[in-house]
This record gives sequence, C-alpha cells and structure tokens, in this order.
Amino acid sequence: MGRRVIWTVFQKELLDLFRDRKTLLGTFLVPLVIIPFVFFLLGMSYSNVEKEARAYVPIAIHGTSGLTAALEKIPGARILQPENAEQALQGGMLRAIVTIPSGFDETIAAGRTGALTVAYDSTNQKSVYARDVIEQTVKAYSQEIVAQRLQHAGLSPKAIEPIASTYQNVATEERLSGGMLAGIIPLMLVVSLASGGVAAANDLVAGEKERGTLESLMTAPIAANHILTAKLLAVMVMSTMSALASLVSVSLVLSFGPLDTEGAGFSLGFFSPATLLVLVLTILLLAAMFAGLELVLSTIAKSFKEGQTYMSGIIFVAMVPSYMLMPLNPVDIPFLYYVLPVFNGVALCKEVFYGRVDPVHGLVGLGTSLLYVVVIIAWSSRLFRREGAVVKN
Amino acid sequence: MIEVKQVSKRFGDFTAVRDVSFRVEAGEVYGLLGENGAGKTTTMRMMATILQPTTGDIEISGFSVQRDPVEVRRRIGILFGGDVGLYNRLTARENIAYFGSLYGLEQARLQERIDSLSRMLDMEEFIDRRVGSFSRGMKQKVAIARTLVHDPDVVLLDEPTTGLDVTAANNFRRMVARMQEEGKTILFSSHNMGEINKLCKRVALIHKGSMRFAGTLESMREQYGIHDLDDIFMAVVEGSEN
Repeated sequence: MGRRVIWTVFQKELLDLFRDRKTLLGTFLVPLVIIPFVFFLLGMSYSNVEKEARAYVPIAIHGTSGLTAALEKIPGARILQPENAEQALQGGMLRAIVTIPSGFDETIAAGRTGALTVAYDSTNQKSVYARDVIEQTVKAYSQEIVAQRLQHAGLSPKAIEPIASTYQNVATEERLSGGMLAGIIPLMLVVSLASGGVAAANDLVAGEKERGTLESLMTAPIAANHILTAKLLAVMVMSTMSALASLVSVSLVLSFGPLDTEGAGFSLGFFSPATLLVLVLTILLLAAMFAGLELVLSTIAKSFKEGQTYMSGIIFVAMVPSYMLMPLNPVDIPFLYYVLPVFNGVALCKEVFYGRVDPVHGLVGLGTSLLYVVVIIAWSSRLFRREGAVVKN
Repeated sequence: MIEVKQVSKRFGDFTAVRDVSFRVEAGEVYGLLGENGAGKTTTMRMMATILQPTTGDIEISGFSVQRDPVEVRRRIGILFGGDVGLYNRLTARENIAYFGSLYGLEQARLQERIDSLSRMLDMEEFIDRRVGSFSRGMKQKVAIARTLVHDPDVVLLDEPTTGLDVTAANNFRRMVARMQEEGKTILFSSHNMGEINKLCKRVALIHKGSMRFAGTLESMREQYGIHDLDDIFMAVVEGSEN
C-alpha cells in the first residue's frame, strides 16, 4: 500500500515538474547551457590572447649589439621606433623595450658582464609573453658567449655543468587528467546537485501549499510520510539529473572545447569499479541531503516567494566547501573535512578524480553523509507532519 | 453521519472554535453559517483530520477523527471554495485520476467513475485539457469530480459557490440536491443566506468561534422572531457586538 502510494505521488510529481518550464529551466539551463558557455568563452578568450601574443610581438630596441639580430629573429617580432616608447608600452602598442647600453658588445668581449634592461608591463598578458621570449633569446645568446669563452680558455661546456638531472613525473596521464578534473568537477557537481532540486522542492511544498493542492492531498487516506518520501525522491531525481547533465557538459567541453588541458587529454581512465561506486554513493547521498534540506525550507516557507528567498542560501552551502577544497590535493585535505557535511562529499569526489580513494576516508565520508541525510529527512518529516503545516494560512 | 461533540480548537492564546456540537444525518444537507473567520473552515479542517481538536471529538460514520483519521479520510470528500486545489499543469482527467488512485480505486473502477462524473458534470468537452486555462466554473466542476471520485458517504462543502457565476452556482446547488437524494451526508458552509434557505432544513450558526444556534430554519425564525435569514444573521452578529 505504502509503496503504491509513493509510486503514484512520485509519478505525478515528475509529470507535473516536467510540464513546468520554470522548473526545467532551473534544473537544466545552468548545466547544459551556462556551464559550457562560460567554459567556451573563457577558453576562447585565453586562446585568442595567446594566439595574438605569439603572432605579433612589437618591441623597441634602444642601442645596438650583436644581440639585436637575435631579437629580430623572434617569431612575430616587429622592431618599432615610437617617439615615446614608455608611453607606447603602457598603452599596449609596444610589448617590451630592450635597452642596450653603449659599449655593451665591448664589455662582453672583454670578458665582463653586460647589463641589459628589459621593460615590460606585468598587467598585460601579451607583454608578459614578450618578456618570456626575449628572456629565452637572451639566454640562448648568453650561452653562445659562454661556450666561446670556455673554448677560449680551453675548457669544454661540460666544465660548468657538473650534474645533469632528469625530472620524471610519476603522475599517469589519467591522474594528470583527473587532477585537473578534481579541481573543477566537484565544484560543478555539488553546485548543480544543490541548485538542480531548488525549483522542484520549492514547487512541491511551498508552491502546492500556496495553490491549496497540498491541503486537498492531505485529506486523502494516505500517510504524510509517504507523500514526503515521494516528493523527496522527485527532488532527488531532478537534482541528480542536473548534476549528471553538468558532468556530461563539462566532459564534452573539456574534450572538444578550446581549453588547453596542458597535454593531459581528457580520459576516464581514473575510474575503477570501487571509485565509481564511491562516486555514485556520494552523489546519491548529497542529492538526498540537499533534497531534504530544500524540502525543510519549502515546508517552513509560507509562500513560493518566501521559499525562493530561503533557497538562495542553499547555493552558498554548496559553494563554500567546493571553493575551499578546489586548490587542495587529496593528500592535503584535513581529516575533519571528511566528517563535515558537504565538505565530505566534495573531498570524496576529489579522491575519486585523483584515482585513489582511501578506504578510511571513504567509510567516514559516506557514513557521516548517511547520518546527515537521516537527520535532515527526520527533521523534514517532523515539520511536514506538524499540525497545520500544509495549510495556507 | 457526522457528530460534532463539544469541539474546541485553540491556536496558542487564540480560540478559533469553542465548544461546538451538532449532528448531521445521512441524506441531509446541513448548513454551517457564519461570517468569514467565524470558525467554519477550522471546524471542517478538523473533520478532514488536517487539524486536531484541542478538546472534544468528531465522529464521521462512527469513526473518531482523533483515533481513526485514515478511516475518516476514506469516508469524506472535501471541497474548498476559493482555492479549488487543482494541479494546473495536469489535465482534468489526470487530476481526478490522481486522487482516485490515492483513494485506492482500481483502474477499471476509476475509469468508470471518471466517465460517469464527466457526464454528470458535463465535462466531456474539456476532460483531457490542462486545468490551467479553465474558467472558475470549469475548475469547480473538476474539483467536485475530484471530491466525489471515491464516492464518499460524507461530503464537506466549504463555501463551494464562492466565485461562481449565477448559472454555475445554480447548477452546483442542483448537484448538491442530487447527492442528498443519493443519501449522502452533506455539510454545506456558507454566508449566503439565500443559498442556505434553498438547500438546508437544519443549520448551525457560528459566530467568533462559538455556536449561537443549532436547529431547523423554522425554529430559528421563531426564536429570533424575524423571518428574513439575513436579518437574523445580522441580529446575531450585532447582538454579540453590543
């Protein structure tokens, strides 16, 4: 009987929600349109800046030296002679000014150090790029002179390089890819789990109360807890769908978008059956916790509008832990975070995307999440069954 | 049958209903009179088990609202005026079917009930359209069908003609008379005395939560020495204020 009632209410809620443009927009607009759009814009602007910085490098050279020829050979370099070079640098017409003092070549030839000045603008990405290529050119030129000096002294270049070091990166391609994803995806996932259910939860209690349908529903011979369970499941479905939509859209953007993934191609190789299970359980528990919390707020709210105001706080509950954990590597996450609500979910997501879940962290994170879910659902059930909770006035 | 036994309802310091008693028999349309805020809706909400009496009890077909709320809900159908409590994004049929299944009606029986109510209330033209675009009168018909889908013994009508035009209100009263002929126990709350005069033989008059009169319309007229029901109503209201 109970299961039949829950199923009937659940089916009706989903039918009702899927016919509501407002709810659908709230659930799917952010993950499917806004996230890819923001990523795309970010990627586009980064790659455009970089492309332009490489293609055209206007610099001014004051003074003459053998170095000038090397600087002129920098790909994209244009040597300009503006009237006021410093003003041109600040205005962005010039990317760098190289000042070579008089007698520079002679100083070097005499075996001393020639002083070179490169002016650039650190607030301009393109100027920073120009500085980098000039530095590389100067370094190469300097090495040539070192080699000549050594040869002159009858020494091999190896004389000044007693140690040759090779640095090997132990991170596999999967972990490199996962490491990058571990920064972005928990944030996207947790925020869309929280935001995806907001519209549904607000509609299903505060909205129904305002329209008077909840009171009619409560006069049917069914238990309040069965109604609440069905509503909780409906909100969970909406928020999980929103989270999955954002996962898919971020994955697609990373695979085909203009973002440079620093050589770590997007791959799902970091998933193993165990980490996948942890990820699924984490998503479900977070969805249940947010759904419960949203239903609590929706039940407390006297109207749909009041509900919307309360719900705006939910996004912060999701965002604060996600942002706090975003720059951390799982090995640096304090143990306390595996116990705190929402923090534990974000921390576990990070471990999953790093390809290794510590069993103790997994158990503690999932166990405490389950505890929070039980507490929140018990609280929402208590509120929902409270006398007069379903009545408009 | 409805039996209200010395029922009171308090919300904190405020007493919404004070020591109200009356009895409605099967096959009777009983009028519950009072101004807005007199305590009529609170009394009906206690009958529908949405609110619990602070003291006293209500029995619906022999079941107590406090001890057997689910049995009570099985036997009642409640229709609120003003807000008809329908899902605008569902069709009329989906609205009625949803409530029918919550009352445990089997699919075949549910279809049969929807078809018969749709004919009876002349809703066949719009039964498969979404309720959001309906007029007040059309919505009221759907709400009535939803209230009656499980064929309840006891029907609670809380100011059901609010917002209806003259024709729709007349049709509705005809429906109530038909339900009475079928032997249903009907409680009809209203502050429209003309409507009460047409439908009811016996009434209870509530003012500021307390019962001022319970009995037949004739005995009411005799007691107050006034024939016009509106004048009696005013005499009660003004009498309590003086």
